[in-house]
Amino acid sequence: MLLEARGIVKAFGAFHAVDGADLLLQEAELLGLIGPNGAGKSTFFNCLSGDTRPTAGTIRFRGTEVTTRPPDAHGRLGLARTFQVPIVFDTMTVRENVMVGAFLRHAQRRAAAEKADEVLAFTGLAEQANLPATALGTPGRKRLEIARALATEPVLLLLDEALAGLPSSEVEAAIDLVRRIHARGITLIVVEHIMEVIHRLTQRVLVFNQGRVIAEGTPAEVTADPAVITAYLGRRARK
Amino acid sequence: MRPRRALPVAVLVVLLLSPFFSFSPFYQRVAALVVLAAISASAWNVLGGYAGQVSFGHSVYFGVGAYSALLAFTKLGLPPIAGAPLGVMVSVAISVLIGLPSFRLRGHYFSMATFAIAALAELLVISWNFAGGAIGMMGPANSRSLADLLFRGSLPYYVIFLVVLAILLALTHLMQRSRMGFYLRAIGSGERAAESLGVPVRRYKLYALLLSGAFTALAGSLYAVMIGFIDPDSGFGVLISVNMVVMAALGGAGTLFGPLIGAIILVPLSEASNAFFGGGGSGAAYIVYGVIIMLIARFSPGGVAEWWRILSRRRVRRAA
Amino acid sequence: MSGPLLRVSHLAVHYGDLVGVADVSFEVAEGAAVALLGSNGAGKTTTLNALAGLVRPAGGSIEWKGQRIDGAAAHAVVGRGIALSPEGWRLFVMQTVEQNLRLGATSLADRRRFAPLLERVFTLFPRLAERRRQLAGTLSGGERQMLAVGRALMSDPKLLMLDEPSLGLAPAVVDAMYDTLATLRGEGLTLLVAEQSMELALEIADTASVIQTGRTVLSGTAREIAENPDLHRAYLGAALWRAPSE
Repeated sequence: MLLEARGIVKAFGAFHAVDGADLLLQEAELLGLIGPNGAGKSTFFNCLSGDTRPTAGTIRFRGTEVTTRPPDAHGRLGLARTFQVPIVFDTMTVRENVMVGAFLRHAQRRAAAEKADEVLAFTGLAEQANLPATALGTPGRKRLEIARALATEPVLLLLDEALAGLPSSEVEAAIDLVRRIHARGITLIVVEHIMEVIHRLTQRVLVFNQGRVIAEGTPAEVTADPAVITAYLGRRARK
Repeated sequence: MRPRRALPVAVLVVLLLSPFFSFSPFYQRVAALVVLAAISASAWNVLGGYAGQVSFGHSVYFGVGAYSALLAFTKLGLPPIAGAPLGVMVSVAISVLIGLPSFRLRGHYFSMATFAIAALAELLVISWNFAGGAIGMMGPANSRSLADLLFRGSLPYYVIFLVVLAILLALTHLMQRSRMGFYLRAIGSGERAAESLGVPVRRYKLYALLLSGAFTALAGSLYAVMIGFIDPDSGFGVLISVNMVVMAALGGAGTLFGPLIGAIILVPLSEASNAFFGGGGSGAAYIVYGVIIMLIARFSPGGVAEWWRILSRRRVRRAA
Repeated sequence: MSGPLLRVSHLAVHYGDLVGVADVSFEVAEGAAVALLGSNGAGKTTTLNALAGLVRPAGGSIEWKGQRIDGAAAHAVVGRGIALSPEGWRLFVMQTVEQNLRLGATSLADRRRFAPLLERVFTLFPRLAERRRQLAGTLSGGERQMLAVGRALMSDPKLLMLDEPSLGLAPAVVDAMYDTLATLRGEGLTLLVAEQSMELALEIADTASVIQTGRTVLSGTAREIAENPDLHRAYLGAALWRAPSE
């Protein structure tokens, strides 16, 4: 079991954003996380990455308890994540940005630069390597975030709406990149709103609603699940 | 690339050599003060420029260095420079005890906390009679040995300070290219992202503070050695912190030579305004600094360094 | 006046180089109730914000009473008779209920209308009258939604737009809100309601448009949409729109 999250609760005062959610993840999976607005999936995601501390529950990654450990500990253990709104290091070039990730496993500058170049080639950013990171448009920045995370040589990569808002021309390339990352042996958890992406990419999906997991299965299974349909399309409020 | 770099390098070299060819003691004194200010500002730059933690409290380290030097003299009869290692050690202790907890705060809150600590430090020193209280302390009146570093002209100080600055800049340059440099810059421009990449943020902020504080303390000791007098205002005064920030920002925070450029511009300006306005000089300095900060923020947040980069890029485009 | 009250044609909205909405088109006839449906992230909020003048469209057009208003400033849009009850209500939480309502009337041309409009809001929502001096931040979810609608009504709009009025509210509260909307509809107010829950919205709507990944993919009467076999796919399935090269 690569990642085990049990009984996760995150309370903000009386409001439970996550209200008892479980996740069991094996190596080499490509898992999707979906759910309507306010379902709690982002909060849950942040608990897994260490950015938010759960109010209750435990999380074990590769056998190590990581429930309350900070994000940098997760990074060192092999769990990397990207952010919905890309955060680029704006005083550095594209290559230097990726080197920050590479330095985790390569203390020497030369080795880190080599690793960075390898990752840049893999993610299609090799040509922009010497540009200031700020010269990249948003699709490029999203790719840079992924490259940087890959440079830390993670075992598990968490993608937070990495395809949101991409023009249709970029979506294909993004899907292809995620597939290639998976082919390299990296386990992935993908949060997405775009159903098409979930159908095409993921093998297993967890559906969140009101802080809990209400369905689990293949994309076809969960989208046919009456509970999921109700959660998305609504139910008659009147009798 | 080379023709673009040649001009500013040449100008800098000429400027740095000029005190040796000047006949004006005033010019040489200002030159020594420029380099001393550049040491402080470059030290500040490690934490404030590269790592983006804008400290307004570095006067604490400066004062510790200055007071350690003159305490070594007045209480132990040692040459003032012998107090410098003590100053560095105390600054390390302060970095860990006070600096580290303050890193829990981010952004403006951090800056304000450092400001508060510095103001508190000044108040405490004013009532510390062992160190001369509000009156302060003086260095040796007559040179007892070469170790006292009491020179009649400013040129020897200029040379010493230049050596120290060169060491600091060399260290900074090495750091910039190393993992620490990358991690500090990452922390400065995206702390949350840096964390997610496995960067132990608190630990690296502390490293930056240790280096930064130590060299600021050394600058304080050197100041006491040259001026031969220290009091709570010239050692722990708020203006010292502000000077460092404005100089680094004006020249280009987060660049290697930015603080030096800032010092070259501001120190002569402030010496001239002191001469012009007499006692009311420090008030005018605040106004001028305020205007400079506004101009930088509005037109060129990267300081002179950024402005120069934009200018040289335009020149290349026109040539092409 | 011939033609619809509001016509949106091929609306596109970008956030930098991210696509908020790629191609949205629909019409709202005078006195009608229209539903904007779609899964979260589809672009409903972006569409309403563009109509309200809060974001500038990158392409397409918005016609109000036959005149182009895309790119108009938000306060000008309110002045023309379009009011929005935003997602998450966006109330002035440190102000009282009455102050919030007063602020909603900022662009009112004829100040004499203020008192009757306020009276009307309090009649529609007696709970707000009871709590008129309470800080908006102390209201319950349902009361906040009432206040958001009330505030929008204070500008005496011809078109009332609501962004997810049922979000986060208990079923009974949602029922009451929709009853009120029906009442307003009966008084001649034109409604545009964005909801993820299509069952709710289709009860009140005459026509509906479904948005998927920033494009309108289905349009029709409420009944047509409710019975459309592609509806499920629009929410949970593969894209109903394909790029020309595919």
